[in-house]
Amino acid sequence: MSATVTPDATTITEVAPAAPRRQKWPDSSVFLQIRVLTTRSLRSMATDPGVVLFGLLQPVIILFVLTQVFSKMGAPPNFPAGITYLDFILSAVLVDNAVQSAVQSGVGLVDDLKNGVVARLRSLPIMPSSLLIARSLANLVRSAVQAVVILALAFGVLGYAPAGGATDVAASVGLTLFMSWALGWAFIAAGAWLRRAEPMQNLAVIAILPLMFASSAYMPVEDLPGWLAAVAGVNPLTYAIDATRALALGIPGADAIVPALVIGCVIAAVGGVLAVLGFRRPLH
Amino acid sequence: MSGLPIEPPETMIEARNLSKTFGTVRALDSVHLSVPRGSVLGLLGHNGAGKTTLVGILTTALTPTSGTASVAGHDVVHQPHEIRRRIGLTGQFASVDGQLSGRDNLLLIARLLGAGRRAARARADELLELFALQDVAERRARTYSGGLRRRLDLATSLVGHPEVVFLDEPTTGLDPEARLGLWEIVEGLVTEGATVLLTTQYLEEADRLADSITVLSGGRVIADGTAAELKAAVGRRTVTVTLDPAADLESAVAALRRAALEPSVALQNDSLVIPIDASKDVATVIRALDQAGAEASELSFGEPTLDDVYLALAGRTPVPVRSGSPALSEGSAA
Repeated sequence: MSATVTPDATTITEVAPAAPRRQKWPDSSVFLQIRVLTTRSLRSMATDPGVVLFGLLQPVIILFVLTQVFSKMGAPPNFPAGITYLDFILSAVLVDNAVQSAVQSGVGLVDDLKNGVVARLRSLPIMPSSLLIARSLANLVRSAVQAVVILALAFGVLGYAPAGGATDVAASVGLTLFMSWALGWAFIAAGAWLRRAEPMQNLAVIAILPLMFASSAYMPVEDLPGWLAAVAGVNPLTYAIDATRALALGIPGADAIVPALVIGCVIAAVGGVLAVLGFRRPLH
Repeated sequence: MSGLPIEPPETMIEARNLSKTFGTVRALDSVHLSVPRGSVLGLLGHNGAGKTTLVGILTTALTPTSGTASVAGHDVVHQPHEIRRRIGLTGQFASVDGQLSGRDNLLLIARLLGAGRRAARARADELLELFALQDVAERRARTYSGGLRRRLDLATSLVGHPEVVFLDEPTTGLDPEARLGLWEIVEGLVTEGATVLLTTQYLEEADRLADSITVLSGGRVIADGTAAELKAAVGRRTVTVTLDPAADLESAVAALRRAALEPSVALQNDSLVIPIDASKDVATVIRALDQAGAEASELSFGEPTLDDVYLALAGRTPVPVRSGSPALSEGSAA
């Protein structure tokens, strides 16, 4: 990548506005395109901390509010024995964070479509999907940073004490990040098709809130009312939460790990294909 | 020039029978274009005339419904990648990343175009200087004024030393000073050897910058040629006579009519506008006025403007029909 730097640099410094045309740079590799575009997304996040803080808002509020409100309540009948409510919902809070971050990757794409960055990139000799992949990778990094903040709060402030060992907790967080990456593709696809910020936000509110509550996130599925339990039973987030929870707390439910991974792969694959198809459509 | 392996073709932009339909709307209708290397084509037309659609096809963002087009010798449908390696595009709306600084916007594009880190930095510095953006280089682009954004946008489209530059209404919304600055940059590009296609609604702009002008209306080419040719073909020169208050307007008009001229009375009622075909008609005007005993207090000679050309040509053809609107909306410019 940097092999051509020296000749280029010397030629360029000599080029005045009216100088003769110079030779072309060689095409950038797809790997470089993805790296440069991912760095760009991360840089806008870093220079705009408000975006990251806003993403943390919902998970952190849920973490504090629910633990304060429900910790004094009697445990529901099917609640796992010897587990505090904080320990129970932390996995759900991390998955919620993963989902919020995934939504933001779709919102970021819509921003690029709106402010003309996509129009600019399309006129360049690069692979257009580089931008989509970069968005998904930046989402992964954001999700990881936010997860670290949540874990720090949980361990440091609230007294989170998962029964699983460090490796199991790490595996649990890893699985959460995988789900964030996979769901990111679903929202990137939504962004590529919707192309406007408002429907994206609406989709996030309409789809995510019910999906989180109609799952095992805040209550064991067996303790939910019948119809809600039915929804939770087929909700992909239930699998993700059960699997990460089983890993972190060392409780039964590890049989959800494989379904969670399979569901994640399917979401990523379908989302990825739809994202590329939607993104390819002409801008106007 | 020395390093180019193959000499690029002489015709840098070519379109044959190019048509594009969106649903029932025919945005482009059998357009022909041919732009020689190193020249500026001005694409003139009002909103909805098809300018942006044409630019979209030539920059490979859109595919034509029928017909063919090539840029720098490469087909727009079959070799889009080759075209993207050779073009720069400045769209109607500034395409810059507001979250990044001006410099980082330029670096991003240079890296994507394959420049190494040092080469990218050098090119960014060079463009920041050329576009007088050094003072704001480290500021985020979203804090830029409209004129600054435009300049950064244009600088961004020139990062890769494009052979063909497409400027879609580059001065829309700019103040006169910024517009002048942009014109100078476009002229600089041409000296550098670039071929430029410029769309505009400003006749002054096309007149000043373009070697040849193509007038689009309702997706069709309704005229092309040099500015002078268009004026000669459509516009008529005029003599404007302001009569002395003592003179009799009606007898002056009658005398001019006898001399086979067609005077029209201007708003103030004491001046006459007389279209003429040749310079010798000026003498005819003066003789006729003399015969009528009408004293002229002021006499001026007017060359046709591109506005006249545009109105005369575009006024004839219906503006494009938007879906759902009635079929005829004649001469919106008038």
